[in-house]
Amino acid sequence: MILFWQSLINGLLLGGIYAACSAGFSLAFGVMGVVNLSHGDFVMLGAFITYWIFILAGIDPFLTLPFTFLILFFLGFFLQRLTINRLVGSPPIMSYLLTFGLHLVLSNLALRAWTADFRTVQTSYSGLTMSFAGLVIPYSRLATFIMAMVVILGLYFLLYRTETGRLIRATAQDREMAQLMGVKIFKIYTLTFALAAAITGLAGSLISFTFVIHPQMGLPFTITAFCVVVLGGMGYVPGTLWGGIILGLVESLATTYLTAGISVAITFFLLLIMLVTRPQGILGKGVVEWSKGS
Amino acid sequence: MKVGKKRKNLRSFSIGLVVLAGVFLWSSPETAEAERPYRVGFAVPLTGAFGKDGALVKDAYLFWQETVNAQGGIEVKKKRYPVELIYYDDKSEPQSSAKLVEKLITEDKVDLILGGFGSSQVIAASAVSEKFRYPMTCGAASTLKLFDRGFQYYFSLLGKAPEEVRGCIEILPTLTPRPTTAAIIGANIPFSADAADGFRAYAPKFGIKVIHFELFPMAMTDYNSLLNKVKGKKPDVLLVGSHSLVAIRVMKGLKEVDFTPQGVFFSYGPTVPDFLNSLGKDGEYVFAASEWTPNLPYRDHVFGTARDFNNQYIKRFGRAPDFVEAASVAGALVQLQALQELEFTPPLKDADREKIMKFFYSKRFDNFYGPIRFGPDGANEIHPPVVVQVQGGKLVHVFPPDTAEGKPVYPMKPWKKR
Repeated sequence: MILFWQSLINGLLLGGIYAACSAGFSLAFGVMGVVNLSHGDFVMLGAFITYWIFILAGIDPFLTLPFTFLILFFLGFFLQRLTINRLVGSPPIMSYLLTFGLHLVLSNLALRAWTADFRTVQTSYSGLTMSFAGLVIPYSRLATFIMAMVVILGLYFLLYRTETGRLIRATAQDREMAQLMGVKIFKIYTLTFALAAAITGLAGSLISFTFVIHPQMGLPFTITAFCVVVLGGMGYVPGTLWGGIILGLVESLATTYLTAGISVAITFFLLLIMLVTRPQGILGKGVVEWSKGS
Repeated sequence: MKVGKKRKNLRSFSIGLVVLAGVFLWSSPETAEAERPYRVGFAVPLTGAFGKDGALVKDAYLFWQETVNAQGGIEVKKKRYPVELIYYDDKSEPQSSAKLVEKLITEDKVDLILGGFGSSQVIAASAVSEKFRYPMTCGAASTLKLFDRGFQYYFSLLGKAPEEVRGCIEILPTLTPRPTTAAIIGANIPFSADAADGFRAYAPKFGIKVIHFELFPMAMTDYNSLLNKVKGKKPDVLLVGSHSLVAIRVMKGLKEVDFTPQGVFFSYGPTVPDFLNSLGKDGEYVFAASEWTPNLPYRDHVFGTARDFNNQYIKRFGRAPDFVEAASVAGALVQLQALQELEFTPPLKDADREKIMKFFYSKRFDNFYGPIRFGPDGANEIHPPVVVQVQGGKLVHVFPPDTAEGKPVYPMKPWKKR
């Protein structure tokens, strides 16, 4: 029985990591209709920022979060201004091509700058665990899970309780109508993409404790984000928490009770079933077809 | 006046140029003949999942080239020929490796081909070198699939993957308290899956009961659930079919699920510098299969002793060589020996390469890496596996006892007592 509960906890904590890494993807898709294939590279950059600040300045990885947020915010800001803004109103294939190009550029620049070395953030508390009724909980994963909740709740608050959020949602719902109502949609797009990059960078910083950091770690996170967002509902930000947790639990339980070999296959099988039977996500609040204004 | 002077200068310059060109053209055939280097090519992963492991092989070949060229080149028929290396990044993709080897042969017109890194890549690349009848020596791939294809031109400096990990099983009965059960996990790709099979095949012969065996996909990035399941079965030792990335992930996972078996053994990984660089103290006490350590009593006339090779390598790269680097250099040395003994000068012809292939099968070789004899399937039949352990941040040769430089530290200290 302990094995079952432990597996559940592992899945839940893994789900928190997945959710943290996917919220930005959902935000960019929900508001702009951009499937950002360079999303995982923002995770990678976040992890590297934490790594380098930790190594060079000896600053505790948790204290690097504001730096990561700011650096990725500005990176997202400029990338949006310079490239993605030009695609507004273009067919979706253009955003795939552009963001895949961005993925190649970012990962190869990282490779040139930092080589293919495998790195990890090793602090005095790395890998430390607490035991509770025979169950083991790693602190760093728990912290990542809590941070994921905070980020998603914060995002939810921003989108549904502030004026800026209202403008973002208005733009997401109907770009042309929002524009007619005086919303400066390019500003909204820039803000959204910068915010998406920043929270994705935060997730990267958080996973640097638990995952091996290298320039090509990004792409699997893009794929994971895609699965999470399909499960949670495309474009529905709070859904990423559910999507992440479901994916984490399925992977963990499949590994425990079936085999590790099948857990990855099950993830994609789940994705396929969702796309065929319930494309609007588990909660039914996702965007099924992106047609309005883009 | 000025114009006239300019014209005169121009004429003198032109005449000078023509004379120089004449001298150059007159002398060039002989000079080119004397200086035409041996062109040696290889494709190796410098990026992707095996980028770091592949970079080691690249360093090894560079070191071989630099050493040989610093000694004046390869001496054949009393003339010395330098070595020119041409290499490409195969991005850890087998199909890319195959294409690049074809490019090296057909476009770059290399004289010789050396092996890259990783079984999947080398399987694809060696199929091309076989087609073009280029003998390929490789020190960084050992899956069984490499040896059951009936190839004539593929030569491995390593033993077959299941043989490589034999030492990790042979050491178990010598440890106290003697382990009796093992769990085996491994990444489901050619080398590490073969290594896991090797663990499974040898374990019962040494009184070890395998209580769990599981392969997992390389695409899996989170190992906690798998390790948690293994922890529940309470094996004495954990045996892992791995590369460096897998080995690092396993160690991080073991700490996160708070699982300390009495011993952890990897088929590959801990000998790659990144393992200890990234894990630090968390890499302590792990065992790894190896095929070479610098304290072994081997020598040759290019590098001197195994210890000399090690020291020169540290001087060049600021780190000690891994055994796949030693094996890769040994492969290049065997090719060099063939050129010298058969007296082939560059450029090599197809018939020359066929004779080199036959030469490789004809005798036993000995160099700083140790004894080498290629069996009919191209595997090194006589190289003894060794076991190393991380002790105090360094790799210590702990098995077999007759060549060991230290004693194994066993059992591992639990995570919470470190």
